[in-house]
Formats: sequence, C-alpha cells, structure tokens
Amino acid sequence: MRGIRTLLILTGREVESYFFAPLMYLVLAVFLVLNGLAFSYSLIDMQGNVDATVRSFLGGSILFWINILFVPPLLTMRLIAEERRSGTLEGLMTAPVTDVAVVVAKYLGALTFYVALWAPSIVYLLVLKSYGALPDGGILATSYAGILLLGALLLAIGVFASAVSPNQIVAAILGMVFNLLLFFAPLLSLQMPRGRLRLALEHVSILFHFQNSFAKGILDTGLVAVYLIGAAISLFLAVRALESRRWS
Amino acid sequence: MIEVEHLTKRYGDVLAVKDVSFRVGEGEVVGFLGPNGAGKTTTLRILTAFLPATQGAVRVAGRDVLSRSVEVRAQLGYLPESVPLYPEMRVEEYLRFRAALKGVLRRDARARVLSALERCGCLDVRRRMIGKLSKGYRQRVGLADAIVHDPPILILDEPTSGLDPNQRIEVRRLIASLGENKTVLLSSHIIPEVEAVAERVIIIRRGEVVADGAPGQLLKGAGVGRRVRVELKGEAAAGALARLPGARSVERFELGEGWLRCEIEFSEPGDQRERVARAVLDAGAALRELCAPSSSLEDVFRSLTAADDEEPGGAR
Repeated sequence: MRGIRTLLILTGREVESYFFAPLMYLVLAVFLVLNGLAFSYSLIDMQGNVDATVRSFLGGSILFWINILFVPPLLTMRLIAEERRSGTLEGLMTAPVTDVAVVVAKYLGALTFYVALWAPSIVYLLVLKSYGALPDGGILATSYAGILLLGALLLAIGVFASAVSPNQIVAAILGMVFNLLLFFAPLLSLQMPRGRLRLALEHVSILFHFQNSFAKGILDTGLVAVYLIGAAISLFLAVRALESRRWS
Repeated sequence: MIEVEHLTKRYGDVLAVKDVSFRVGEGEVVGFLGPNGAGKTTTLRILTAFLPATQGAVRVAGRDVLSRSVEVRAQLGYLPESVPLYPEMRVEEYLRFRAALKGVLRRDARARVLSALERCGCLDVRRRMIGKLSKGYRQRVGLADAIVHDPPILILDEPTSGLDPNQRIEVRRLIASLGENKTVLLSSHIIPEVEAVAERVIIIRRGEVVADGAPGQLLKGAGVGRRVRVELKGEAAAGALARLPGARSVERFELGEGWLRCEIEFSEPGDQRERVARAVLDAGAALRELCAPSSSLEDVFRSLTAADDEEPGGAR
C-alpha cells in the first residue's frame, strides 16, 4: 500500500516535470509539425482513399517512423542522467523509496507524456469524415495499440540509456542508436536470399510487425507479449544500472 | 543508533575509506571532522544507503543499511553536501513533495512543511522558485527537507557551508536545538563549528579514524604537545630554545627592533614555562612576555591531519 502511494507521488512529480521543461515543449512542437505533415502527405498521396491514408499515416510514412524512433529518447534522456549530473539523485535515492519505484515512476511519466503527444492525432482522423467515410475502427484501434506498444518498448530502452549515461546528450544519442539498430538491423534481411535467417530477421522487425500486423487490424498476443517483455527487460537493466551508481 | 564496523570503500584502485569503525549513541550529537577528501562524504553516503560499502557492516537504528535500506532511510534526515534541489520547483511545493515521499500523511503535510520552513528560517521564501534562491537559502531549504518528516536521526554533510557568519550561528543554534531530541551526525572541516554543537568528535584522515572522543578528552591525549610563547630580544636565545630537550618545533616571528616572538611546542605534557624562562635568561637575552596558550581542538586536528589538505579519492 505504501509502495503504491510512493509510486503515485513519484509518477505525479515526473509527469509534472515534463510541463516545466521548456525543451519538452520544443519536442512537442516538432512532433506535432511532423505528424501534421505526415497526415497531409498521406492524404494527398492517397487521393481520398481513406483506408490507404490511415495505413500511410500510421506506420507507412517515413515521418511516422522518425517520430517513433527519435522522440522517445528525447523524452527519456534527462530522466536519470540529469538527476545524476545535478546531484539530485542523491536526495532522491536517500529518501525511503526503492530503485524500482524510481525507475518505474520515471517510465510511467514518460509514457504519459508520449500518450499526450499522440492523442491529438485522433482529431486528424475526424478530418477523413469529410471525405465521406470514417476509417475502419478495428484497424485504428490496433494501430494505436501498436503505437502504444512501440512507445512502451522504446521509452523503456530510453530509460535504460539514461541510466547508463553521464549526461542527457549521451543518453539521447545512445537511445537513438539502440532504436536505429532495432529498426534497421532486421531490414538487412531484404538483401538476403530466401531462407531461415531471412525469415527470422523479418520476425523481429518492428517495421514488419507494424505493417503486417498492427496496421492490418491484427493484435497478436504473442507480439504484445514480446514488446512488454522487451520493455520489462530494459527497465530491469535500468534498475540495475541505477543500483550500481558507479558514476556518482 | 549508528553502528559502523570495519567499513571499507574502494573506488576502483582508490581506497576512500579504510577499516572505519565507530558508534553514535541515541541522542548524541557527534561531529565528523577531516580535511577535504578524507572520506567524510563517502562514509556519510554509505550510512544513508546511497552507496554500498565494499566491506564492513553498517547498522542504523538497529537495521542493516544494505538489506533493510528503505526502512533505514525512513528513519533518516539527510542533508547531502551539494544540497541537491529541483530548481524548477517552488520551495513549499518541493517540501510537500519530499514530505509525501518520506511518508508524511497528507493531512499532516501542510503543518509539517510550515514548521520545518519556520525552524530553518525559510518561511519568507516559501513561494519562490528554488533556482532563484541564494546559496544560503538553498542550504536552509535543504535542512528543512532533512527535518520535514521529523526523523529520529539526522546526518548533515557540511550543514553550514556557503552561509555567512550570521546564518552560521543560526544554523548552529538550530542544530543544537535539534540535538536535544535527535541523534545528529554532522561533518565539517570547520572546527569551531563542530566544537560549538558536538559532544563528541570523530576525526578522519585519509579514510581512517585517527581520533574519537569528547573534545576535552582529545586535548589531553592525541599527542598535542604543550606550547609556550615567549617574546625575547637576542638571536642566541632563540637558538638555545630550539635545543631545549623535548622541544619539537620552534616558530619564529620578527616583531621589529630586534624583538622576536617564538612559539615552542613540546612533545611532553606539563608546564614548560619555567624551563623556557631559564633558557632565555641563561642565554643573556631580554624577556618581555612568557605564556602558555591553551591548545584547542584545532591544534588536535592540525596535529592529526597535518600535511594533507587535499588528497585524491573521496567525493567530488
């Protein structure tokens, strides 16, 4: 009970801190501009085909993937690295809170802000109504679930990057490198002859996951589990890194 | 309340704390002294469960700091050396957050926060942004943070650094009043500071405890010799003083017109004034002043920690 209360207090403060950080408003602005561009390009390219527009806007456009891969590290970079650099980590970790609570609270704060970033995009989809049709509800639901799962995984990776970095710049770069590896390494499969290895790589590609599953209205529980387990492992490693405190 | 046994802390190859053992009893106010880099901050960080020890056992309020770390931290009020605060928060808001984190119930929070602010003299800045406060106020907000949950044990790392002389006296008074019903361990490298509030001092040097006792007791032991100060006229006499049996060192100051002030430190205890007077007169010099200044804790500290102002290792 006391643990839950502590977690809520910490999470509340983390969510609040996003709205006190000027840099986060910049991230918010850039994100919304890119997302707006992604939507209008999709709309123009698909010439009024509602379902094709949705597929392009959510999962099909380069701008979508730029937002997915580069924004989470920017949200998480300061979380632990900055507290360590400024020394506030000492005050935080000598209060009666567990390392797990600190990491999870920071993660939940980032996830909340991430959801707040994506929420306005739902409004765009209402625009499609003016073309006479609403997009397929099932596809929309799984696409947004995919965005949430990707966020859950990449933000956890970002929290880990922040936990092992001496400052937030390093944390951001490290997080982006992890994400780019995750995105591009499996795409090497496109250069390979058909075979087991190619199949295996396609299986772990977040791009293929999105286009072949989430964007098609399929919510594969195995896939959901993989994303959540990946997030849990990253957070576990972040807790370990925080415990070691070698850089204090 | 605090028990440290054979504590050792290693950072890579650097041994920051070597086999340190001490105890702080309930209700005691203990000063933790040492030159910068002697291992004070490292030791305090281990006591507050921020850093793990390489070897040794530390118990606070009867609990092991490693295995029951959260329980230990709930009993502690800690003021870190760097006084880390969130600059974007307002003073009262920050203390509300800290109080909640330390388990103060919501209905008590307002009263506790206001009383901590009042005791530390920060009531007038409670709506200000922490980032805009002066160093002195920040130090006091840190102190308010340490006491906001009314912990039985306070660990204060350099509580008066960055304060002006008036504020120092206020903080000293505050610590003395807190010490009436709390166990306090405070570190400092300013001796009069500690002497004013602590019943007992522990002196640490290069990661090792070199003295532990009441200030009076340390003066008696600890190998601080008796000092004699004389003012005389005549070089020959000054030389004769250096040759006195038991004279460890002679410091000389030119006073002008041929007068010299010599401070002789003897390795053996006891009053040496008579011997000094005889030596000066035997050398045919004029004598105009002779006294034995009482040695202070500062002398104990200097003699125990001489020749290492800054050392590698320890906290940055």
